[in-house]
Amino acid sequence: MVPGGSFETPEGSSVAPGESPVAPGGSIATPGGFSVAPGGSSVSPGGSSVAPALLDERELAATLEREGYFADEGLCTAIHLALRLNRPLLLEGEPGVGKTEVASVLSRVVGRDLIRLQCFEGLDAGQALYEWDYPKQLLQVRVAESRGQEVGDLYREEFLLRRPLLRTLESAQGAVLLIDEIDRADSEFEAFLLEFLGDFQITIPELGTIRARTPPIVVLTSNRTRELHDALKRRCLYHWIAFPEVDRERAILRAAVPGLEERAAEGLVRAVQRVRGLPLLKRPGIAESVEWARGATALAEGGSPWPVALRRALGLLIKDEEDTRLLLGHAEELFGDA
Amino acid sequence: MPEPVALAAGHVWGFLSALRAAGVTTALPKQADLLRVIGASPPRDLTALYWYARITLLHDVDELAAFDRVFDAWFRQGGLQDIVPPPAGESDVPSPQGPGEDDPAPQEVLPGDGTEASSLSTYGRRDFGPADERRRSVMRALEAAWPAVLPRAPSRRRRSARSGDRLDMRHIWRRARRHDGEIIELRRRARPPRPRRLLILVDVSGSLRQHTPDLLRLAHTALRAAPARTEVFTFGTRLTRITSALSHPNTGRALRAVSGQVTDADGGTAIGTALHEFLSVPRFVALARGALVIVLSDGLERGDHTPMVRATARLSRLGHRLVWWSPLACSPTYSPATRAMAAQLPSLDHLGGVRDLSTGLAEVRRLPAVLSGLRRAAARRWSTPRPTGTRS
Repeated sequence: MVPGGSFETPEGSSVAPGESPVAPGGSIATPGGFSVAPGGSSVSPGGSSVAPALLDERELAATLEREGYFADEGLCTAIHLALRLNRPLLLEGEPGVGKTEVASVLSRVVGRDLIRLQCFEGLDAGQALYEWDYPKQLLQVRVAESRGQEVGDLYREEFLLRRPLLRTLESAQGAVLLIDEIDRADSEFEAFLLEFLGDFQITIPELGTIRARTPPIVVLTSNRTRELHDALKRRCLYHWIAFPEVDRERAILRAAVPGLEERAAEGLVRAVQRVRGLPLLKRPGIAESVEWARGATALAEGGSPWPVALRRALGLLIKDEEDTRLLLGHAEELFGDA
Repeated sequence: MPEPVALAAGHVWGFLSALRAAGVTTALPKQADLLRVIGASPPRDLTALYWYARITLLHDVDELAAFDRVFDAWFRQGGLQDIVPPPAGESDVPSPQGPGEDDPAPQEVLPGDGTEASSLSTYGRRDFGPADERRRSVMRALEAAWPAVLPRAPSRRRRSARSGDRLDMRHIWRRARRHDGEIIELRRRARPPRPRRLLILVDVSGSLRQHTPDLLRLAHTALRAAPARTEVFTFGTRLTRITSALSHPNTGRALRAVSGQVTDADGGTAIGTALHEFLSVPRFVALARGALVIVLSDGLERGDHTPMVRATARLSRLGHRLVWWSPLACSPTYSPATRAMAAQLPSLDHLGGVRDLSTGLAEVRRLPAVLSGLRRAAARRWSTPRPTGTRS
């Protein structure tokens, strides 16, 4: 830990968002106007697996696939750009399309620690950034008193409680930070994130500004239950994860449910896609369709014919009584040919 | 700079301006991101360029359709003149639409035939009349009821308290000084609850003519109960902020002040336009953020209801809860079957019936249940025909 609390930024962060190559008048950045030094941006010297910023979207897709995550071109581009530009990536989408999973797969791919901040109503800076350890300070005073020593400075780093955001900054090789379900936190909380997301730094009044040793990879997810501030969105790359198309969902099922037959998978994916077209209260995500496939496979192995197994395992796909009733009304067209 | 590069640069720049002209907001740093990315790793093909542009520039999936349109026109078809506005009349805001050809001429509209919800603007002012004794007593009850039902959230600032999750060091040291540095008791800091903002939007169009005075009185009681945290707007064909006019403690005077300000009372309805007007002012959006939003309207939108549905959805995402009170819903046979109402039902947290002060009081008392319940539960409640009265 550097005394004084201020850390040097590695030169890789020369794409800091502050320096804008575009003048409002309309000039365009020349390719020489900025540098994304290969290897300098986001990979630590001891980085174990791949240099992710060097991969283009297709190589990235293949790498993710090896880790069991099937990303479409849009998501791959989004991740690629986030790594390349050192920008936080804001992922929105319906529940269960694999937003959170992106961060954990990413941490495995780049071989960095995953630090997770789960947001909830009432979350405040003390739980997300840092906090002073008051009981420890109090004890320090008592100890110094009893020994007849000087108390000294109580606002030193040893009295600092490191919460996820600060831990991310201090991680030597740069961590992958997941800020999960940011829409659950109160809108005022977003203000605490702005400095962090914009410059990867946190200012502690008593200590000064703490900068990231290595720029972290930041993934934010939101279920879009409330609208985020423009100031937050402006600092992030944005990607909306849609429900997967037929081929990709089949690939996911094939990878996630080993015992699933090809024909059964075909019918199941078709059924799920049709179910998503119905006016449901909650449309099933990928997680639900995987669960459904697993359940139906287990039942089929137990001796049920496939369509019956599908129907009996429906509770894994649809978790609302009204939706189930609606679905059973369409049962023929959904499962008849499955 | 070589010629083709300059051309390409100009083309990209034109694309960015076209986006702005189409109403897709892109902040300058985001545009810089796009240019930086294109320079750093030139896109392989058009699809790659599309994703580059979409991921760096877009910040809300709602604007995706407009974005796609501009991108297609600019890069896939080359039909530039459709999108590029003439340089002289460039404007960021689409001009409001005038009455189209399909609007019936005012002469053809007969009273009582359901066409009161016309897009016709009137500039009529209206006196909202005095309140009688019975009304006054209900208003007193309302005023007493509001503070208890308003949702609360922990405030951001901590205050000294007997119990809490953090030690109040300042307080502890101050006390310790009195006892020769001996710490005798610990004080803590906590976040005391603070009422959320209350935003009331009152429909004053002609279709609500007979209810308007009572609906305004209802808003007045809320304003009296929580003056610092309540905002009231009216809308008919346009949006009017009446918080200050309505905040006179005397109801009669407050209503007179409002009738002086609201010039579109009893006129046509353009709920979508009015809500959109509300949402396009960042200052007003800040009022809705995290607030309890109550819309008093029958939801009878004339013509295309898409703008209204989209505005409601946005309002619902902004607010803590979105409650819709409609005079029509007082009827036991009511169901939100009009296309506009059915389409926006999934955005609502609650749809209740309020046509006068006493139904208002009943709904106000129902608010705690709405606030503690699931979000966007209105569709759940209204989706199936209710077996009489058991599910309310």
